[in-house]
Amino acid sequence: MERRHFLKLLLSTIFVLPTTKADAGFLSSPVATNRLRPPGAVSEETFLGKCIRCGRCVEVCPYRSIVQLDMKNGVHAGTPLILAETVPCYLCMKCVEVCPTGTLKKISQEETRMGIAVVNRFTCITWRGEAICRTCYNVCPFKEKAIRLDELRPVVDEKYCTGCGLCVHGCPITWKEGLKAINVEPIHLMKGSTQGI
Amino acid sequence: MSITRREFLKRTAALTAASYVGMNLPFSLEGESHAADADKWVKGVCRFCGTGCRVELGLKNGKAVALRGVADSRTNLGYVCMKGMLFYKIIGHPDRFTKPLYRAKKDQPFKTITWDEALDIAAKEFANAVKTSGNDSVAYYGSGQALTEETYLFQKVMRAGLQTNNVEGNPRLCMASAVGGYLTSFGADEPIGSYSNIEKASCFFIIGSNMAEAHPVVFRRVMRRKLDNPNSVKVINVDPRISPTSRIADLHLQFKPGTDLALMNAMANVIIEEKLYDENFINNYCVFKAVEDDKPKGVDFEAYKKFVAEYTPEKAAQLCGGNITPENIRKAARMFAKSPGTMSMWCMGINQRLRGVWANNLINNLHMITGQLCKPGADSLSLTGQPNACGGVREGGGLCHILPGHRPVAKDKLRNQVEEIWGVPQGRIPPKPGLHTIAMFSAVNEGKIKAIWIHCTSPAQSLPNADHYRKGLRRDDVFVVCTDIFPTKTTELANLILPAAFHFEKTGVYGCTERRSQITPKAVNPPGEAKPEVWMVREWALKLSKELNDPVIKKSVEPFIGLEEGFALSKAIWDEYTQKLTKGRDNDLTGATYDVLLKMADGVQWPAPTTEFALKGGTERKFVKGIDPLADKLSQDDKPYQFYGPAHEDRKLYIWLRPYNGAAEEPDAEYPYYLSTGRIIDHWHTTSMTGRIPEIMRANPYSYVEINPKDAAKLGIKPGDMVEVESRRGKVVMPAKVIEGPIEGMVFAYWHDMDEERMINKVCKDAFDPGSKEPEFKISACRVKRVSGPKQLKPYIVTM
Repeated sequence: MERRHFLKLLLSTIFVLPTTKADAGFLSSPVATNRLRPPGAVSEETFLGKCIRCGRCVEVCPYRSIVQLDMKNGVHAGTPLILAETVPCYLCMKCVEVCPTGTLKKISQEETRMGIAVVNRFTCITWRGEAICRTCYNVCPFKEKAIRLDELRPVVDEKYCTGCGLCVHGCPITWKEGLKAINVEPIHLMKGSTQGI
Repeated sequence: MSITRREFLKRTAALTAASYVGMNLPFSLEGESHAADADKWVKGVCRFCGTGCRVELGLKNGKAVALRGVADSRTNLGYVCMKGMLFYKIIGHPDRFTKPLYRAKKDQPFKTITWDEALDIAAKEFANAVKTSGNDSVAYYGSGQALTEETYLFQKVMRAGLQTNNVEGNPRLCMASAVGGYLTSFGADEPIGSYSNIEKASCFFIIGSNMAEAHPVVFRRVMRRKLDNPNSVKVINVDPRISPTSRIADLHLQFKPGTDLALMNAMANVIIEEKLYDENFINNYCVFKAVEDDKPKGVDFEAYKKFVAEYTPEKAAQLCGGNITPENIRKAARMFAKSPGTMSMWCMGINQRLRGVWANNLINNLHMITGQLCKPGADSLSLTGQPNACGGVREGGGLCHILPGHRPVAKDKLRNQVEEIWGVPQGRIPPKPGLHTIAMFSAVNEGKIKAIWIHCTSPAQSLPNADHYRKGLRRDDVFVVCTDIFPTKTTELANLILPAAFHFEKTGVYGCTERRSQITPKAVNPPGEAKPEVWMVREWALKLSKELNDPVIKKSVEPFIGLEEGFALSKAIWDEYTQKLTKGRDNDLTGATYDVLLKMADGVQWPAPTTEFALKGGTERKFVKGIDPLADKLSQDDKPYQFYGPAHEDRKLYIWLRPYNGAAEEPDAEYPYYLSTGRIIDHWHTTSMTGRIPEIMRANPYSYVEINPKDAAKLGIKPGDMVEVESRRGKVVMPAKVIEGPIEGMVFAYWHDMDEERMINKVCKDAFDPGSKEPEFKISACRVKRVSGPKQLKPYIVTM
């Protein structure tokens, strides 16, 4: 590993890890690693004001990927969230069509950016050179684009990754706090922390 | 696998740096197999594909807790795939059968019985069938996943005891065409070379195999070779589908399914036209054969030249369609012929075909005319699907037409030899081969087979046109015994379920693709009352002997009476098989005793006639003097290669004139799409095992169908939509994956699903190769239509 890369990873860990715990506060956003808004969601700053908690996206989702947050989530109660490792988003794009307020913008599969998948090269069993696993690559809806294999090891291309979380759900490696060897980092959060991972 | 020093230093540095800033990097991972602090590691071989990865099972307080690759093994070099790494989870799974289960009629619920009752019932039912309907009314259907000792003992009892050759196994569904190809081309079954050629090869011709998914650990070696030598090593992938394997290819030939025979004849045409053939090799070792009036006939080189002259690259390109151009064919042929060492690898895309043997012959032809055989890096290597299809079934006599040690049943001399070794009266083994798989299950359908023992496989799900053959298994006048570890689609149709010991719960040998035999010793106790199959067969045979009042049945298991079933019994069976039946045969395993196998990091490749030779690893390349001891021993002249294979008495390699032949069922107006089926890396076959590993099932909960984006647009199918795939035999409804994978006009479905709605083998065609009797799983005609939008589906595994 290059020094530069190591530092980057170190930085990202410092910024990302604390937020994974902060999903229960009254005001704090539930969006965190693998906790994602549905496709086409407006930025988290405006989401609360725009979403009327009608639950249509939750209702229309054929895979039950979207859950409606309950009272524990304070001001975020009633808003939709995807728990990527439990049921990821299959990108059927039904939710964006039914959203009455435009909180979920009408976008296509390819345009979806719920976050970006990040492979943790320390925990990924393939990167560690211990087994040949390519589950994330196999389940990726944009195989070869969003996730490709570099010498059989998975690499994410942020240009194409939609953050759907299928890879997170599929990843056979689970470690601390339910995190996987590949996790989706919500875009707005990454922008607020370290640029350009 | 061990880490390199450099890697270790890096990680240590990272850890130290992390500890300075007061943060722990997650090196000790929870819920992860290899991190478990096992107190003992037992070496064995992987339970899944035919690669033959050497693995170690980690035990903690006698319980299986982890699995890892063995770094000094010559097959996997320490690597394993995810399903391999997780199969230890099956060992203690709560769904395991722990007691014998029985029901008289198939609509009744099962009830638990004792072993004594179970074996009594099995013996009575088989004895009754023999008494009332003759010896050929009983059958054994085994598996390429059964241990060699199991297959050997089963077939011995069936043949010498019950006097029937109705001994078959699922390798008929995957390997039979490769056997036919090797026997007719080289006169000897199984590959000449080894995986070790991969590191010496400079051209790979991968046809009809998605080895990146199906043999990932071998593929890693091919990929490594290519990436280390990006310019000097060329990879040609021939497949109607763009697969993960095609991604490393320099040249991907994508053609209409079933046209590869024309393609390979056209490559031979180019090789001959451009004088790229190896005249010396042909003159020294090869003869040409054609078929006239159903009989093989010798022809000369000129006749062969004339034959392939018909297959001009232009004509073939037109036939093959897809991206095939005359220039592509020429390019492929030149790469193949000019490289210092060309290695072909193929699997089900070639074998599971109406003319699978011919397709195998044509690959072998390319190697023979270019002399790409027996030299470093040159081999025509058929990849095996199952871990013991080669070792147990092809060598151990697990098919209806062969006896142990590559002896055809029909050859009187060899059959009598086996009778003599077994000490049974001459004429005890019937001279006529038994029923091959499709014929066997047709006979079940017709009620001609009254009792069938299905061992370690699930034909109710894996046979093509599955619905048709399940009818017979459902009949109440057909007694079905299943030996298995988990409920399957077949145990659903059984009368008697015998709980079997799993891998590492019994001792036995697996023989992988490259003629390599590896032992897996018992490391843990089977759950409940589950028993090793060798014990079941022995006890059953003793009861059968009483029922039928026939001492010869007892005689067939006599050497094994009273032996402890975990190790000693298997050892005695292996000793009889190797010392008596393989001695002097081309698959000589005399040197590969349990003692030797237990010492080896990676097993022994036959021929291995002596212990000293076996301890060196055996024969890396057959037929080559100085490498293969049999080539030296059986040498008849001063040529460096001696093709002593038992099927060709003239010691020649045969170059066959095999014409182009299409599939049994081509698309038409009613069923306009080609349907092909295949595998995914994480699942194993019917999912009865991998479906019970949560990590694997979560990522691959159900099968789906891949559709080319152009076809999807035509059919109005969007990703994730539910689509119906229907053929003349049945239909399934599964989600669609729209992907630039299958060629336009073809859909590709995965067969890892037990749900009735999604069992693709109900749709596949059961036409079979007239030579190898292997069904054409890979090509049939279907129609495809959108049923609904995306739907959440429930993963399904058969439970009791």
